[in-house]
Amino acid sequence: MFITKKHLSRRTFLRGAGVTLALPFLESMVPAQTALKGTAALPKTRLGCFYVPHGATMYKWTPATEGKNFEMSEILSPLEKYRNHMTVVSNLRHQSATGADAGAEHARSAALFLSGASPQKNGVRVGTTVDQIAAAEIGQDTPLPSIELAIEDVSLSCGAGYGCAYFNTISWKTPTVPLPMENSPQVVFEKLFGDGGTAEQRLQRKREDRSILDSIRQQTSDLMRGLPASDRTRMDGYLDDIREIERRIRTAEAQAGANQDVPDAPVGTPETFDVHIKLMFDLLAIAYKSEITRVATLMYAKDLSPSTYPESGNRSGFHGASHHANAKSNMDNFALINKYHVSAFAYFIDKLATTPDGDGTLLDHSMILYGSSMSNGNQHDHEPLPIVLLGGAGGTLEGNRHLIASQHTPMSNLLLGMLDKLGVRKESFGDSTGPLTI
Amino acid sequence: MKRLIYIAGLTLFLTGFMLLPTLGRQREPSSQQALLTDYCLSCHNDRLKTGGLTLEQLDIDHPEASPEVWEKVIRKLRAGMMPPTGLPRPDRTTYETFRRTIENAIDRTARANPNPGATPLHRMNRTEYANAIRDLLAIDVDPATILPPDDSLEGLDNLADVLGTSPALIERYIGAAAKISRLAVGNTGIQPLSVTYKVRGDVSQDEHIEGLPLGTRGGIVIRHNFPVDGEYLFKFSLLKVNFGPQYGQSAKNEQLEMSINGVRLLLMDLRSAPYYYIRGGGGGGTAPALEIRLPVKAGSQTIHVNFIKRTAAEVDDLLQPFDATTADLQTGVQYGYTTVPHLSSVEILGPYNIGGPGNTPSRARIFVCRPASQREEAACARKILSSLARRAYRRPVGDDDIAPLLAFYQKGRETGDFDAGIEMALRRILADPLFVFRFERDPENLAAGATHRVTDIELASRLSFFLWSSIPDEELLSIAEQGKLRNAAVLQQQVQRMLKDPKSQALITNFSGQWLFLRELKNRQPDLLLFADFDDNLRQAFQRETEMLFGSIVREDRNVFDLLTADYTFVNERLAKHYGIPNIYGTDFRRVTVPRPERKGLFGQGSFLLVTSAANRTSPVTRGAWILENLLGSPPPLPPPNVPPFPEAANGQGIQKIVTSVRERMEQHRANQPCKGCHQIMDPIGLTLENFDGIGRWRTEDLGSKIDTRGQHVDGTELDGVESLRASMLRYSDAFVQTMAEKLTMYATGRAAHYYDMPAIRAITREAASDGYRFSALVNAIVKSDPFQMRVKRAEETH
Repeated sequence: MFITKKHLSRRTFLRGAGVTLALPFLESMVPAQTALKGTAALPKTRLGCFYVPHGATMYKWTPATEGKNFEMSEILSPLEKYRNHMTVVSNLRHQSATGADAGAEHARSAALFLSGASPQKNGVRVGTTVDQIAAAEIGQDTPLPSIELAIEDVSLSCGAGYGCAYFNTISWKTPTVPLPMENSPQVVFEKLFGDGGTAEQRLQRKREDRSILDSIRQQTSDLMRGLPASDRTRMDGYLDDIREIERRIRTAEAQAGANQDVPDAPVGTPETFDVHIKLMFDLLAIAYKSEITRVATLMYAKDLSPSTYPESGNRSGFHGASHHANAKSNMDNFALINKYHVSAFAYFIDKLATTPDGDGTLLDHSMILYGSSMSNGNQHDHEPLPIVLLGGAGGTLEGNRHLIASQHTPMSNLLLGMLDKLGVRKESFGDSTGPLTI
Repeated sequence: MKRLIYIAGLTLFLTGFMLLPTLGRQREPSSQQALLTDYCLSCHNDRLKTGGLTLEQLDIDHPEASPEVWEKVIRKLRAGMMPPTGLPRPDRTTYETFRRTIENAIDRTARANPNPGATPLHRMNRTEYANAIRDLLAIDVDPATILPPDDSLEGLDNLADVLGTSPALIERYIGAAAKISRLAVGNTGIQPLSVTYKVRGDVSQDEHIEGLPLGTRGGIVIRHNFPVDGEYLFKFSLLKVNFGPQYGQSAKNEQLEMSINGVRLLLMDLRSAPYYYIRGGGGGGTAPALEIRLPVKAGSQTIHVNFIKRTAAEVDDLLQPFDATTADLQTGVQYGYTTVPHLSSVEILGPYNIGGPGNTPSRARIFVCRPASQREEAACARKILSSLARRAYRRPVGDDDIAPLLAFYQKGRETGDFDAGIEMALRRILADPLFVFRFERDPENLAAGATHRVTDIELASRLSFFLWSSIPDEELLSIAEQGKLRNAAVLQQQVQRMLKDPKSQALITNFSGQWLFLRELKNRQPDLLLFADFDDNLRQAFQRETEMLFGSIVREDRNVFDLLTADYTFVNERLAKHYGIPNIYGTDFRRVTVPRPERKGLFGQGSFLLVTSAANRTSPVTRGAWILENLLGSPPPLPPPNVPPFPEAANGQGIQKIVTSVRERMEQHRANQPCKGCHQIMDPIGLTLENFDGIGRWRTEDLGSKIDTRGQHVDGTELDGVESLRASMLRYSDAFVQTMAEKLTMYATGRAAHYYDMPAIRAITREAASDGYRFSALVNAIVKSDPFQMRVKRAEETH
């Protein structure tokens, strides 16, 4: 028998098989002569990437000591309880933020966070983001390959010649397709659990949707007739979307029998940040637990956000506070907001830590990236970035460590290293120079 | 040797001779070249490439050979932005002639060989989708709740370039189709739903709110779509102080009132402290729930929820309350303030005890026939679906279109009644790409690169999405079907009709909302400590004012310059007080003459002054850059990378210690070299507006220092105050009209403008000029233009 490391991803399998409901485990899905653990066939690790704009007060973020049993820092202290699932990664930079087309830092920060690529001015093009690369591999057998969450409403006027897409999302399906982020918990709920009061009704509507989608696909050739080439490409993309939705419905139908304790649908959008983000985290934890999705991105705020967080003890607007003029007292005050944001994150980590999952907890089977693509927000530095990883990533992330990367290590190296932990092998990513071993 | 000289001489002679016939024509170009050499090439040469631009190798006498570069030059010159401050310029006439000569050459070539561009396949954005649903099915849906927000480009959210698709997005369209068809048909199997209407936390409810009955205060006006006849539960929440207690709890004899379509259905006495209207009680005791269950008829109904106004007398408080009553919620429970309860949200749940589908405008619109027996059903279904599909697809429909719909009708009919069949087929129509996208096709036998006129049917959609942000109505569609729309007179008559139709409010709201950043207002929150009287009531008044000014230009067909120069504006009591206009009472808006010339036009309006300010101060840089980009079409370049922070004072306390006024800050970046180049253009423009503070109030001092609005415009003229800014805008009127024309053309064609569109945009501007720059002249010129009426067939792309 001829042995190669080639293997079929589930996605490839689905494409070929057409209508397949359950997802049989096939030998061919496992690369020859590799252990089951860590292959694309059975990754249960949930990936989360949470973005906070405007950087942090670094002298209160970075732990004073390196390595195992590091000395906890002021800003990260709300996470102390989970230190065994915590990996602080220091000294990273986002080089793509500088480069030839630099300037307009806030216009580009969100877009490059997970892409490691420079957003193109006067256009809509950056790079496929790490969450979407992961979703294409580990999200294809879940009803939603990924979910994109936000707290703030989108902005319509952005700046400096950069499209709003760069501000409004950190998730890009392809270099030119930004995924809109949803900030209404009600909409997120419906996306996760479907439209309809009862489970039965939701299932019935899904079936009807599927027959509608099927019928739309039947008329494709009529639609294409006489369309200019570029529009045909756009239509092709649309039909891919249709097929993707059909696939999700089939998966959801197959899963409908599974007992999911679905909560009441939330109504409207909460008024305060605190209530809002906790509700989003609640929904995400259920989505992770029931494997409605394994991949999530979330934006705490948009760049230039004037939001205030009075509970933090600092009542200034977020962006204004980040321009602290490098004055110590202002920087200390800004750190209050940073710490408050981390405490909201700790709420989510606590949910994961207390939710059983397989042979451990959800936290054991998660890898959650939290951080910013700015360092000192006052001068829009992109180095050294405030970055922390939570979760055991299915036993592949050791925890209780503070890693200090060598100077100027691209953030993309970490993103590549994270893909590695998810069993997604890639040679390079964004401006990476090689995977960072974590 | 002699022979050599002879040959050289002969060559010279012959060369000269050969050149002779063209000498006369060359005089003008060579003067262009001289100007270019004198004023441009010392920076824009191959060696320096200042601003990434070199003009050295280009032939100024043939700008049509490289229009992409020259259009950049034109853009700068049109707004008077080059040469930079302090460098010599030719006199105004020479300057203008230089630019016009370049423009004329490019325009001549473009006229001979026009490139109308091609709008990519256009997805209806969510505003258009909601309008289309309203016009197709006579129901109001809130676009924000059914579809995700759209991306925008060039400040517009209706440009096909960025109206892409993704599974998540298309899923929402599919989901919307199910919900809307259920609502429109009045499905009686519907599950109870809950919809919450929130009052923004920063709305003051001490006074009357526009649209609510007189003699009331606070509250909210809701337009709600009730899916069927049945009972609905209305729940009211009062604003609470952060940790529980209700705001204004000590007020006595407060009453909450609710009415539907003007009929009072509820008048409830509110208990005073210590009763809290919160779930499960709290504090001192449990108050009766603030809710009522009522039978309501199906369809769109107007609901008023408000408080009865107890007194209009001034309260003699220990402490002076803010106009923005919720600026500090603690005032709601603290001794020394007299506050009254505020409404925070109304939740509508239902239906319960469903009575029937009811008699709604949408059912009347859908059921154009009613089958008397089962035998008539198929024919009636065909009739209903043909009529719906024709309007939804915006073109004549044939059997190929109807057959799949009938199949879905059958599917629904098999498990339900006739209505269920129609609902299922309607759901299929609304999910169809023919409804969601705007298809425009190229004739198949046309060569790549050739241009063609769009069909009448396609033109009808272009027109209705431009003027109404919606689908064509019956008249427009049938004229197009008859092939009459290409007739110029018919087209113009349709434009006039459509502009007069109330649906053209969409053009006013959507275009001014985006061009003038009015949509951005809701995201602006001035610092509450500095502007404690700023609340949402004022924010909304700002938006209304500018919308109404723009609306007056559209409705009264005025000169578009009135946007900058109008000596009238629209105010209600709140806004009038803010501007210091006396004797205006009540919440309704009325037209007034501005009290002082500084308030004329956009520059004197709160909306513009607020969106171009930072939360805690004015920002002359933002104001200057905003004007350059949005009114003069010449956006300043991006700031250079790694701008150092402002220098710190010796004590390490940062900038606050050494700089006081906004003007002083500005002087700082005009003193440093990397910043100076652009800031000496932007800042003087912004500084002329320094008499208006961050929320548009008139002032003469900033942090103790006297306001100084003096500065030098990039073209060398002296600036001092808003009047001088307006004068300078009028000097560059070409730049203003062309910028507006360019924006409006992008909005009209639904795609971003490119260099090759500029000749058409100049032609549009010229045509509007010949008709006094009236708004309709601009619209007519756009509708007649090549980019609006034609497409170029693009070559096949290789992937």
